[in-house]
Amino acid sequence: MKSVLKSITLSMLALGMMSSALAAAELRFTVWTGNEAHLAMLNGIAESFRETHPDVTVRFETIPAGDYTQKLTFQLAGGNPPDAGWMMEDAASTFANAGVLEDLAPTLNAAEGYDLADFSEPAMGLWGADGKVWGVPFSTSPFVIFYNKDMFDKAGLEDPLALAAKGEWDMETFQEVAKALAEATGKWGFEFKDGQGYDTRIMHALMPPIRAYGGDVWANQECGFDKPEAIAAVQQLHDMTFKDKSIVPPGENGDYFSGNSAMTINQISRASLMPDAGFNWGIAPLPTGPGGEAPVIGQAAIVVFTAGRQKELAAAFVAHMTNEANVAKMAQFFPPARNSVLSSEAFTASNNLIPAEQMEVVGNAIANGKVLPSHERSPQLLAAMKPRVDALWRADANVEESLKTVCAAIQPLL
Amino acid sequence: MTARDERAPWLTLKMREAMEAWLFISPTLAGFLIFFVGPLCAVVWYSLTEWNLLSQQSVFVGLDNYDDALFHNLDFWQVVRNSIVFAIGLVPLNMALALALALALSRRFAGVVFFRTVFFAPVVTSAVAWAIVWKFLLQGEAGFVNQMLAGIGIHGPNWLREPDWAMVAVIVTRVIKMVGLNMILYIAALQAIPRDYEAAARLEGASNWQIFRMITWPLLGPTTLVIMVITTIGSFKVFDHIYLMTGGGPENGTLVLAFYIYQQGFQFFDVGYASALAMIMFVIVMGLTVVQLALRRRDT
Repeated sequence: MKSVLKSITLSMLALGMMSSALAAAELRFTVWTGNEAHLAMLNGIAESFRETHPDVTVRFETIPAGDYTQKLTFQLAGGNPPDAGWMMEDAASTFANAGVLEDLAPTLNAAEGYDLADFSEPAMGLWGADGKVWGVPFSTSPFVIFYNKDMFDKAGLEDPLALAAKGEWDMETFQEVAKALAEATGKWGFEFKDGQGYDTRIMHALMPPIRAYGGDVWANQECGFDKPEAIAAVQQLHDMTFKDKSIVPPGENGDYFSGNSAMTINQISRASLMPDAGFNWGIAPLPTGPGGEAPVIGQAAIVVFTAGRQKELAAAFVAHMTNEANVAKMAQFFPPARNSVLSSEAFTASNNLIPAEQMEVVGNAIANGKVLPSHERSPQLLAAMKPRVDALWRADANVEESLKTVCAAIQPLL
Repeated sequence: MTARDERAPWLTLKMREAMEAWLFISPTLAGFLIFFVGPLCAVVWYSLTEWNLLSQQSVFVGLDNYDDALFHNLDFWQVVRNSIVFAIGLVPLNMALALALALALSRRFAGVVFFRTVFFAPVVTSAVAWAIVWKFLLQGEAGFVNQMLAGIGIHGPNWLREPDWAMVAVIVTRVIKMVGLNMILYIAALQAIPRDYEAAARLEGASNWQIFRMITWPLLGPTTLVIMVITTIGSFKVFDHIYLMTGGGPENGTLVLAFYIYQQGFQFFDVGYASALAMIMFVIVMGLTVVQLALRRRDT
């Protein structure tokens, strides 16, 4: 009798454990940040999701940014997709076109108090069409100029923020200032984003000046590199690199964050590196050009994968993560795409490293900026561009001819 | 009659031995079939399809991928040319240097172990660390190598940003990294040559060069063949070094076959095309190996 009772008790216990295991769920969410402050904030948001979904935990899995898209592809191809994750703008079209991203519109529209229309329309451009939403942008981060205030002071020059306030911060001044800085300090005047403007960040190097001159790299399936605006913009960069010797040239190291360049172009998430840089610094808008103000925005969104086993739950978490309160929380690190948050004072005061007047630069750029171009064949386009752009970065290169060969190479892919 | 014969009277001794032999080799055979033959057959099949890794859509296209690579893709022939230039630059340089080092270090003298270790150390050094350090040393004007050259009045090129010099740079740094391995193989072969031959030749009044040409070099033949085959195969398979140092650039100047296959498969997600390229590379490497073996057979 005793043993029968024992077996019944054990069976009940096992069943109880099984049922609680069935109710509990874990969402796997891939990100490219390993920053402790970022992860603490994300875990806080996951914790607050438990108020409505008490048995759900979210595990954030960090994949380094350089390998992110590729590893994500392997996970999808290997039948081990994460439930949700971050996605970079250059991968958006490729992934959406392959049909691997879940339409989030039904969940977001049904979520209580979730105002999808609050997201700025240009910011949503890459992430949906025909009423479908493949991703919700969480970081709409404009490119800004980071400058080394100490080097400007040493050269006796006004800094870019002051010049911008006077309406004098244009491409011409940018060239003059960079040259003067290089001559006065013996270091470099300007470094492309993370020193990778000749390799992995070709677009980040060329796009802002081309737009400032009123051009575009491509639009409406037509290559724009060989248009007069693009040629003038790239010619200026080429002159700065090889004639003025003010831009860090290919094959050289001139890290801004180590004080070897007076200016660089980057996004505000890099401000987290500045406390250790050991010099006074500031941020300013991109220089204007003949095309007027042309802020350029890099973007990242949160997506849910169709192959995931917990799609509905993952979509519900995305709705929670991108509601107004949580977008405001994330805004301290990732500039938001929600108009309500963007226009709030809380946003300009959200980053304790960047003063409010400089955060306004960020806010204005988001409101007026244009996202970096994306294309369903982005990897092929970049690979086709790369060798032709390499040829451009020779001291004796003919800029116009080089840009024509870039167009000849990418036009069939567009 | 033994007990065993009673259990299986139809088994002859020969059959039993064969069965035992198959049983003993079956674990290795299973591994070989699953991890080598299986994937190889799969690659042949994939090469006949258009398979997108991301969307997981696959369509049978027959020989279209081969046709495209061989007859329509201009980049492909530049890539093959680059691979051949890399191999032609690397194999003789590596072997000559390995032999020279082995000749110098095969004899016993104080400090010989230290020198052998110094030349072998790069072989066991992490490929990533090696490439990153060299990339740093080979920077433009501020790079260590160019600073050294400037010290003796030479204006060095921007090594990794000019296509021809980038190829030279990746070949030389690869040779320095891998030469230690071939050096060890040559040292082993040199030490296996009986000393009597050299002593007898000296008695006959042979010079060092004559001893090397008439005795040492012919006796090193089998080792030289092995080294040549494995170094050639290795040079066609080079990937990490290119990926880390130049990414195939500048101007596709160092874009070699293995890196190109990786690009097609894992950056463009076109696994079918990448598989066709892998098959072409397999045929090229196999062909070169057969030619090398045939030449050796003809010589002996």
